[in-house]
Amino acid sequence: MDTYTFHVQGMHCKSCIALTEGELMDLPEVTHAQSSLKTHTVDVTGEFGERTPEQVAQFLTEPLKRHGYSLHLERQGHQVRWGDFTYAIPIAAVFVAIFIILQKLGIVNLAGSGEMTYTTAFVIGLIASVSTCMAVVGGLVLSMSASYAKEGEAIRPQVLFHIGRLVSFFVLGGLIGAVGSAFQLGGTGTFVLSFIVAIILLILGLNLLDIFPWTKKLIPTLPSSFGKGVRGLKGTAGALTPLLIGAATFFLPCGFTQSMQLYTLTTGSYLEGALTMFIFALGTLPVLALLSFSALSIKKMQTGVFYKTAGLVVIFFGLFNLMNSLVAAGLIQPLISF
Amino acid sequence: MKNLPIILSVLVAALVIGGAVVFSQKPDGSGQVVQNVSMEGEKQVIEIDAKGGYSPKLTTAKAGVPTVLRLKTNGTYDCSSAVTIPAIGFRKNLEATGVTEVEVPANVAQGTLEGVCSMGMYSFSVKFM
Repeated sequence: MDTYTFHVQGMHCKSCIALTEGELMDLPEVTHAQSSLKTHTVDVTGEFGERTPEQVAQFLTEPLKRHGYSLHLERQGHQVRWGDFTYAIPIAAVFVAIFIILQKLGIVNLAGSGEMTYTTAFVIGLIASVSTCMAVVGGLVLSMSASYAKEGEAIRPQVLFHIGRLVSFFVLGGLIGAVGSAFQLGGTGTFVLSFIVAIILLILGLNLLDIFPWTKKLIPTLPSSFGKGVRGLKGTAGALTPLLIGAATFFLPCGFTQSMQLYTLTTGSYLEGALTMFIFALGTLPVLALLSFSALSIKKMQTGVFYKTAGLVVIFFGLFNLMNSLVAAGLIQPLISF
Repeated sequence: MKNLPIILSVLVAALVIGGAVVFSQKPDGSGQVVQNVSMEGEKQVIEIDAKGGYSPKLTTAKAGVPTVLRLKTNGTYDCSSAVTIPAIGFRKNLEATGVTEVEVPANVAQGTLEGVCSMGMYSFSVKFM
C-alpha cells in the first residue's frame, strides 16, 4: 500500500472533488482517494506495484483525461490559455454585432398591433427573445449553461431551468389573470433586481474567462451539494437551483414580459391568463434553448474557446444591463439609445 | 511577435462591432423637422410615439409653460411601454394601444426633461428653451 499526493491540473470547481475522487475510486488499484479544492491536490492510497511515482501519476491521469484533469508530482502554475482569445474575441464580437443590429433595425416593431391572440403571444415571445430582453434572460441562460457544462453537467440543469420557467409563467400568469393585479416591482425594486442580475452576469462571465482564479470564490449559485450531484444526484438541492432560477425569470426586468403581464391582467380568467403567459414563454423558448444547449454542440470542439466566447458575451450583457439599470434609475445619462 | 494573433483578433472584433453600429444606424430624423409640439389653449402639448423606442427622440419646446406629454402607443409590447420620467417621478406601464397624458407643471418645464423605458435602453428628451 502506498499513498501519494498529486497536484491536479484543471481542478476548478466544487464538483471536481466528487468527480476526481469518484473516477479514481473506480480503479481497482485504488483503495482511497481524497481531493481538496483548496490545495488542488488529491491524496491517493492504493496498490500500484512496481510503478514509479511518475508512472502512477500518468496511470491515474488516464481516467481523468476526458474530464480535463491531469495529475502531476509538481505544482502546476495557473495557466491562462490566452491563445483561446484569438478565436473567442472575434466570435463574441460577431454575436454582439448581431445583437446590436437586431436592436437597431427595430425588430421589436414587428410585434403586431391589433387583437391579442395566442398566436400573437407566441410571436411576441419570439421577438422578445432576440430583443434587449436577451441581455437579461439570455445572458443568464448562457452563463448558466456554460458554467454548468464546465462543472460536467450540461443537459439536466438546462432542462430544469426551462421547465421552471414554463411552469412559473403558466401558474403566475394564471394568478395575475384570476386576481386581476400584477406583481409589478416599483422603481427601486426594478433597479435593485437589474443591478443584481448585472453583477451576477459580470461575475459568471469573468469566471468563464478563467483569467482570475479568485472569481471562483464569488460564485454563489453552484453550491457543493450540486457538485456532489454530478455523480448520481440524491439530494434535491442541485435540481432546485436551476428550477428556481427558471421560475424567477418571470420577475426579471423585460419590457415584453411586463406588457404581457399587463395584458394578462385584463383577461380576468385563470386559464386565459395562464395560457397567454405560457405561450409567450413558449415563444421565447427556441432562442433560449439554442443558448442553453450551445454548450453541448461545441463540446467536441475547442471547449476553451467556447467558454471564453461565452464569458465575453456574458460580460457584455452584464455591462449592458449595468449601464441600463443606472440610466433607468436616472443616475447617469443614456450613452446609447436604440 | 507572440501577441500578434490577439491584437489582430481584437482589431477584427472592433471592426465587426463598429460596422454593426454604423451600418444599422436608423435615420433618426435629425435632419427633418418633426412637428410634434402644439398649443391647446393654455397648454403646450408634446406628442411622442412609443414603439420600439421613442419618436422623436429629441423635442424642443418652450420653457415655463404648463405642458402635457402625450405618449402614444400602438401595439407596443416592448420596453418603451414602461415609461419612467425620473425628474417628475413618473412611472407607468402604458397600455399596448392608447394615449397617455403626462402633466408637466410650468415650473418643471425647464432645462432638459429625460424619459427612459424601465430597462433603460430607450430614451427621449425634451429640451425646454
